[in-house]
Amino acid sequence: MTSLVACVVRESPNLRLPLNLPSLSNLARLFSPRIAPWLDAAVVFDASGLDRAIGPPDRIASEVCRIAAEQGMAVRVAIAGRLTTAWTLAHARRGVSIARPGEEAATLASLPLDSLRSLGAGPLDSLRSLGLRFAPDLECLEILRRWGLTTLGDLARLPRGEVHARLGPDGVRLHQVASGEDECPLAPVDEPTRFHERSELEWPIDSLEPLAFVLSRLCDALEGRLARADRGAVAITTRLRLVTKTAHERTLHVPAPMRDARVIRTLILLDLESHPPGAGIDVVEIDLDVAPGRIVSGALFDLTLPSPEDVATLVARLSALVGEARVGAPVLVDTFDTRARALAPFVVRDARPASGSVRDSDSRTDPGRLSVRRLPLPVAARVTLEHGRPARVQPSARGLVGGPVTQCAGPWRSSGAWWTLDRRAWDRDEWDVELPGAVYRLAHDRASGSWSIDAVVD
Amino acid sequence: MPSLAIERLESALQARHFDHTLASHRRFVEGVARVAPTGWASLDAPLGGGWARGELSEIVGARSSGRTGLALATLAAATRRGEVAAYVDAVDRLDPVSAAAAGMDLSRLLWIRGPALTAEQARPAAIDDAVSKAVRAFDLVLRAGGFAVAVLDLADISPRVIRALPPATWMRLARVMDGATGTAGRDTAGLILGDAPVSRSAGGVSVRLTATGVWAGQSPQQHRLARLAIRAEIVSARHIQGALRVGA
Repeated sequence: MTSLVACVVRESPNLRLPLNLPSLSNLARLFSPRIAPWLDAAVVFDASGLDRAIGPPDRIASEVCRIAAEQGMAVRVAIAGRLTTAWTLAHARRGVSIARPGEEAATLASLPLDSLRSLGAGPLDSLRSLGLRFAPDLECLEILRRWGLTTLGDLARLPRGEVHARLGPDGVRLHQVASGEDECPLAPVDEPTRFHERSELEWPIDSLEPLAFVLSRLCDALEGRLARADRGAVAITTRLRLVTKTAHERTLHVPAPMRDARVIRTLILLDLESHPPGAGIDVVEIDLDVAPGRIVSGALFDLTLPSPEDVATLVARLSALVGEARVGAPVLVDTFDTRARALAPFVVRDARPASGSVRDSDSRTDPGRLSVRRLPLPVAARVTLEHGRPARVQPSARGLVGGPVTQCAGPWRSSGAWWTLDRRAWDRDEWDVELPGAVYRLAHDRASGSWSIDAVVD
Repeated sequence: MPSLAIERLESALQARHFDHTLASHRRFVEGVARVAPTGWASLDAPLGGGWARGELSEIVGARSSGRTGLALATLAAATRRGEVAAYVDAVDRLDPVSAAAAGMDLSRLLWIRGPALTAEQARPAAIDDAVSKAVRAFDLVLRAGGFAVAVLDLADISPRVIRALPPATWMRLARVMDGATGTAGRDTAGLILGDAPVSRSAGGVSVRLTATGVWAGQSPQQHRLARLAIRAEIVSARHIQGALRVGA
């Protein structure tokens, strides 16, 4: 594959770094991920292989000019086999310049000697980041002019050894440029590490429905950038600037890196449904924390599990329906208080069972094993005792059956948290009692003497 | 879907006379994978291996009939196989300790907790709202797909409240499960837990449970509730099976 480098230069350069991505960089990224911008005045990108997608170098250059014109930019474009040649041509000539690989020296030959000044057109550090390692010594250029040289071709025709003997390393570097040689290859910059999109609205948005359209546009842009960088979002921060000049900020943490624009938009919308902004929205910003993209390897015989994107969306929808604190995976609480219940975030792990392969017999539970249904708010009960044991239970709730106790077992004493100053301390006796039609787990609070039904054995 | 992928692979292998290499997996696909075992061996046999996936079945029983135990056993069996399951708890009755004791991998269970209500004495409007949200949550879970078992716990809710739901509710859920609205719910066995029959899809079954407590120990110190003696009656569109004794 022939190596090609393209250089795009603005006709009226803006040397200040804009706050957002330079638009020349965006233009270059449409053609190649390997780009090296110089402020917003010029950009160099690797055009190798584009001939198969677009066509020969002149077609590539025309395409760059066409898209730049569509975006409102007037540019010069040069394509060559060498970085320095493309850079020099683009700065020296208007319009499109092409130097086919191997013809760099011939193409440069007609350029005036002053074209070499473009190598020192900006801060040296910026040029170094492009792979242009030096700024030409102006004194050298003046010496060359006094020798009667007027074009780069004149310089290239001089013996390099003689140039070195008279002008030293600076002279040799100028000779290399005139001969169409690079000192080092293109050093592309990484994608910007900040994945951020912002939209200022002409009119404030008061409801979520129109906001969905704005979010779609921002999320689509972010999805493309995430895909190019092979990254996925693990935290989504949405900042809304309101008409009241206040900010409404929400951050969502997702269980696995994801980049699907629809999923991200849905998650943001569902979160904003649960936590709506207090006023109309003027500005919408989305900021993503990213991690390397997931590598998913499909398997024919593995069990089907919901994808992390589906789970995140489902949990967000369920959270919007029943509340964030009411959705998750149950966890055992480290306490002797049997009433304690808690949730952890629900995350889908791989399909492999925790303890290797599972046989049919392993996945069976003993029928008749006791399970309880916990009453979230214990129901007070009037309990009649005989010989210190419950003989009759009458719940305060009409829906629970009461009556004489046919069997009972207990008490099992339980106490804890007596060392705390809050009201979490408990000290009680628990009983299992069977009535006609139900088996209850009763609790007798030893401090207050009250009875309650904590759970139903089921 | 694995089943679809396997069908394609089998077709390709059949064309090259290599289809015998997948014989063991065909049994897996057609036998075990299309049902979700209940976790009770004595009930799996008459059910043909377990609850049918892509169908809405129900577990019916009064208080202390073992209905929660059966639901937890089904969920435990699914999570132990490495699948994920969901439990839509209309009025927040799930006991994680019982679930763990049944052998459930709790991290593979999505628990959607309804409001902490005492259904037996709460305001009717609060119960109506809780049931309505539970049904919507169940619908969302089925549409998401990928869950082996999804349980909608409506036990302890008055039948009056459940009858007040639009009749199309259950038909809509059944359509989600049979794949009429996409493939999401086809691999999920849907279960409704209730005091009285609520609804089931055409291919689903109703399992009615009754139980009595089995007490052990003679002296007051040793006396304890050991287990429930459970009897199950299976009702489906095709047959009504007599009561089975599933617990000691």
